[in-house]
Amino acid sequence: MSPPRPPLPRRCLPLVGLGLLAAGPARAQQRQYRFDQNFGRLSFTARHFGLLSSTGHFGRFDAHVALDPADPGQAEVAVAVATGSIDLAWPGATELLRSPAYFDSEAHPMARFTGRAVGVANASRFRVEGDLTLRGITRPMRMEARLLRRGRDAAEGAETAEFSASGTLNRLEFGMREDRTTISDQVRLDVQVRLLVGPA
Amino acid sequence: MSATPGWSRAQRRLHWWVAALVPLTLGLGFLMVELPWRPLAPKFLAYQLHKSFGVVVFGLVAWRLLLRWRRGRPAEDAALPAWQRRAAGLVHGVLYGLLLAVPVLGYLSAASAPAQVPTMVFMLLPVPHVLGPDEARFLLLRALHLWLALGLVALALGHALMALRHHAAGRPVLRGMWRG
Repeated sequence: MSPPRPPLPRRCLPLVGLGLLAAGPARAQQRQYRFDQNFGRLSFTARHFGLLSSTGHFGRFDAHVALDPADPGQAEVAVAVATGSIDLAWPGATELLRSPAYFDSEAHPMARFTGRAVGVANASRFRVEGDLTLRGITRPMRMEARLLRRGRDAAEGAETAEFSASGTLNRLEFGMREDRTTISDQVRLDVQVRLLVGPA
Repeated sequence: MSATPGWSRAQRRLHWWVAALVPLTLGLGFLMVELPWRPLAPKFLAYQLHKSFGVVVFGLVAWRLLLRWRRGRPAEDAALPAWQRRAAGLVHGVLYGLLLAVPVLGYLSAASAPAQVPTMVFMLLPVPHVLGPDEARFLLLRALHLWLALGLVALALGHALMALRHHAAGRPVLRGMWRG
């Protein structure tokens, strides 16, 4: 399969909150990675009746990572997601998920995750702990992250790093209580991003 | 292919099972699309049932074709004009083709759907998806699935009307499919 491509034209999101990261006290050697808007996929998977599952994704999100490649244990991560960009490509499902019973994207257009790597020995596999804010409700969230590959993007004149991360949230904690007979409480999030470091 | 004295019991039963399941699956197809999103369970289950019946229809039709190939069929009424016999043979061939193609297209569109809901016959038997999600392909296959399904039902109605017409004219086609 071809590399995952966003189905919607991406726009840079106004990342209120992400500025905090960049403005924080700069650690030695820590480098700011910006999100490659041409790659990246943020999907969610719920289970149905214990046997079946379905997957959707968000078309617009932005990620920011501050990372010292020599010491990934200090990595800091911030992700902002436009909840209105949710898409299941099933007529009606997208509207349902944007509705007040689910992501309520009119009242809460953005979802956020901020976290930091914990207990890391190497960059290839580490845990990110932080806070997820959905529908204005903030709860602790843990993601398992992996560095897939590092390289160079000649066109961008930048170093690249591709990460994947996944974690599970309990939707009830964020006030999504509808259709519990059909949709599992636990929803898995999967993120794939490519980060660039170097001249913009 | 040599003619048999009549349709075998298995052939007759399969014919009527498929005749019952096709309109039921079509109705479920419209129902699943029209059902509201809340509550979600009936809508979701209608999709699963529609997919399950589709797989069953495919299996029954494949079985019918196997029997037809191995056992043959009774001869057409020699009193009918040749063009009518040819037309009947053509319609039967297209019906068999659509009975196989429509479930296959439904399965392939389910496999291509970005929502990636697995196919499990009656929530028991998993049917692996041979294609990955692809929205453009999904939309194309779903449209083909719908239009060929409508074509199948239109043709099946014509087939049923012709059977009734033959029956009214005293020809034993309907009785032959019912009692052998």
